[in-house]
Amino acid sequence: MRRLPVYILIDTSGSMKGEPIEAVKVCLSDMFSTLKNDPYSLETVWVSVITFNKEAQVLFPLTELDKIVVPKISVPDDGPTHIGRALELLCNQYDAEVRNTNVEQKGDWRPLLFILTDGKPSDILHYNNMVEEVKLRKFGNIFACAAGMKAKKEPLLQLTSNVLESASIDAGTFKQFFQYVSVTITEGGKSVQMTPDIDNPPEEIEIQLDF
Amino acid sequence: MSQLITVKATDGTYFDFIDEVIGSGAMKDVYFSPDHKYVVGFFRNNQDGRSIDRLMNIVGIYRDKIFKQAGGDYFKDYFCWPEKLVEWNGKIGVVCPAYNKKFFFESGMFKGKEKEGKWFASAKLRNKFLPASEKGTWLNYLQICIRIARAVRRLHAAGLAHSDLSYKNVLVDPQTGSACIIDCDGLVVPGKYPPDVAGSPDFIAPEVMQTKTLKVGDPNKALPSIYTDRHALAVLIYMYLLYRHPLRGGKVFNTDPAKDEELAMGKFALFIEHPTDFSNRPNYKQISESEMPQSDIDKRPYTLVGPYLKALFDRAFIEGLHNPEKRPSAAEWEDALVKTADLVVQCNNSKCDSHWFVFNNNEKCQCPFCGAKFKEKVPIFNFYYSKSKGTFRPENYSLVIHDNGPLFTWHVNRYVTPNEKINAKDKVPVGDFHCQRGNWYFVNRSLESLWDFSNSEKKHIKPGEQVELKQGQKLLLTTEEGGRLAIVQFSEN
Ligand SMILES: Nc1ncnc2c1ncn2[C@@H]1O[C@H](COP(=O)(O)OP(=O)(O)OP(=O)(O)O)[C@@H](O)[C@H]1O
Ligand SMILES: [Zn+2]
Repeated sequence: MRRLPVYILIDTSGSMKGEPIEAVKVCLSDMFSTLKNDPYSLETVWVSVITFNKEAQVLFPLTELDKIVVPKISVPDDGPTHIGRALELLCNQYDAEVRNTNVEQKGDWRPLLFILTDGKPSDILHYNNMVEEVKLRKFGNIFACAAGMKAKKEPLLQLTSNVLESASIDAGTFKQFFQYVSVTITEGGKSVQMTPDIDNPPEEIEIQLDF
Repeated sequence: MSQLITVKATDGTYFDFIDEVIGSGAMKDVYFSPDHKYVVGFFRNNQDGRSIDRLMNIVGIYRDKIFKQAGGDYFKDYFCWPEKLVEWNGKIGVVCPAYNKKFFFESGMFKGKEKEGKWFASAKLRNKFLPASEKGTWLNYLQICIRIARAVRRLHAAGLAHSDLSYKNVLVDPQTGSACIIDCDGLVVPGKYPPDVAGSPDFIAPEVMQTKTLKVGDPNKALPSIYTDRHALAVLIYMYLLYRHPLRGGKVFNTDPAKDEELAMGKFALFIEHPTDFSNRPNYKQISESEMPQSDIDKRPYTLVGPYLKALFDRAFIEGLHNPEKRPSAAEWEDALVKTADLVVQCNNSKCDSHWFVFNNNEKCQCPFCGAKFKEKVPIFNFYYSKSKGTFRPENYSLVIHDNGPLFTWHVNRYVTPNEKINAKDKVPVGDFHCQRGNWYFVNRSLESLWDFSNSEKKHIKPGEQVELKQGQKLLLTTEEGGRLAIVQFSEN
């Protein structure tokens, strides 16, 4: 059975301290209990959570859904938001954890990536480089959420066109984010809609470039 | 307190519901009626004229075709069928019976959740999460499959296609061997209402998968139909009896997982147990512990389902996989499943979690699930039918006999089938079998014209009399039209 790897990147910079991070924790554990009741997810989903502030750390590596226990999430008093570092760590984890399909064996489904931040990358140069690295990996879907007044949508748009913007950092926003995450994850078992009556874009175009 | 709301249905009647959402799906918000016997699901999106027209037909003439014909009431438990169409605040709603209590988990960590078929068809979910009390026996799954096949047969006979059969749209209760088809509001009438969905992953027919990217309206685009329902039905039956997917093997078709999936279920779909093409055999190195032993096709080959179902799987997954017209019909599945139920015996291992298996008549007869040897020597009735008076031909149909087991009219007469059309008197056993001190007897309860033809002189066995079963004995079960001859054989184990 193919696994569906899911990476969730969560901002734990100083500004998330207190109420926001508590709300995130509640939403995160709600989401896991929803997923643990879904037969499709229980069969295929593996999740890893990476947190980031000045440093990026693996809260837990890619873990089979039913074995996940969310550890304590600590938040420093202040400090920068190094999303670039988080992406770097993500790429390393991806390379180590995701099973690629090759001619001999079937690998994992394309992983899903979800990013939640209330700021903007303080390490913008590194961030820009890492966006390119992420693009070299084969994510099935990337979804980002920029929560709060200080959050910037633009850097995230380099990564994906799927960006949710919300003026407030509160339980409502996080709930919406994690609901989207669980809906996306459980999509697998649902009925496939008929393709609409429009011209399909070509799936992939190969262009030979002569230099 | 939640408010009670009354709405008027298109049939002129009124419907009350409690203004509190009990569940939301992709399309609808669902509410209970005050007695919790019905629910109403309101579409969040506006329904266009064509959709409303279709829904009107589903609650109207199509419902009549299923339920208002002979044996119609029988199907009430088989479907959760929309009964009324209502409108509230500009939203269209369909009223359906509430799911029966038995289709909700009663205890354990999934308490209160619906018994979606997926829980019971996946090896990993069975092995890791399902409480033993919810699993049921292998015979229960045979019953579940009979019910699904029967319901689909009825739909097809009415010219309707479900179009999205999947374990998500069939609730099951293994403890009682029940199944109920839900989500009937997506029903397709071939040629009249085009389908909204292509089907669900694992169940989409190869031709639909293969032409998925073609535009709607392209004549080469395969749409869900009775033929694709037949594919989905075969997959469902295979999964409930074997707990693995018939097309998910080890063969890699493309290094992109999404494309690989599309080809494995579409253009290059290949049965994992194909008798000559071994290229899609499971890759055991890649199968996790939690999916074993169900994923082991060597330990549990599909032939364990017995000869009738094996033949249909061959047609569904070998000849008919890319050839929709060759797929077995729901009626054929129903017939083969019912006949297979006459071949099952109880496993000698009291700890075996399958409890039942299909008897195979050879000296090595053992339970394919736990390996326990089957020790008892049992009699078998091999049935013959008469084409013209006095001559009998083998029917390729047998009954494995159990101590205290019944004989029914549908064994005796080939014109009787145990389905919705059977009348009450034919549901009563006509006789029963008993084993005493190693000898087997048939006690005739109500067969008026049972004759033992074993000896040169034929003997009439009257109701109330019994006859000892002997190897090679010939019993004419009835002289009525359609009556069968049974030749007794003792098992070779
Ligand atoms: N007949 C019923 N009895 C009890 N509960 C029901 C019934 N029908 C629907 N529900 C509840 O409402 C929820 C949503 O219903 P349903 O799945 O029919 O909606 P939908 O929008 O058509 O969903 P989808 O298309 O995702 O299957 C279900 O998950 C279930 O909990
Ligand atoms: Zn056994």
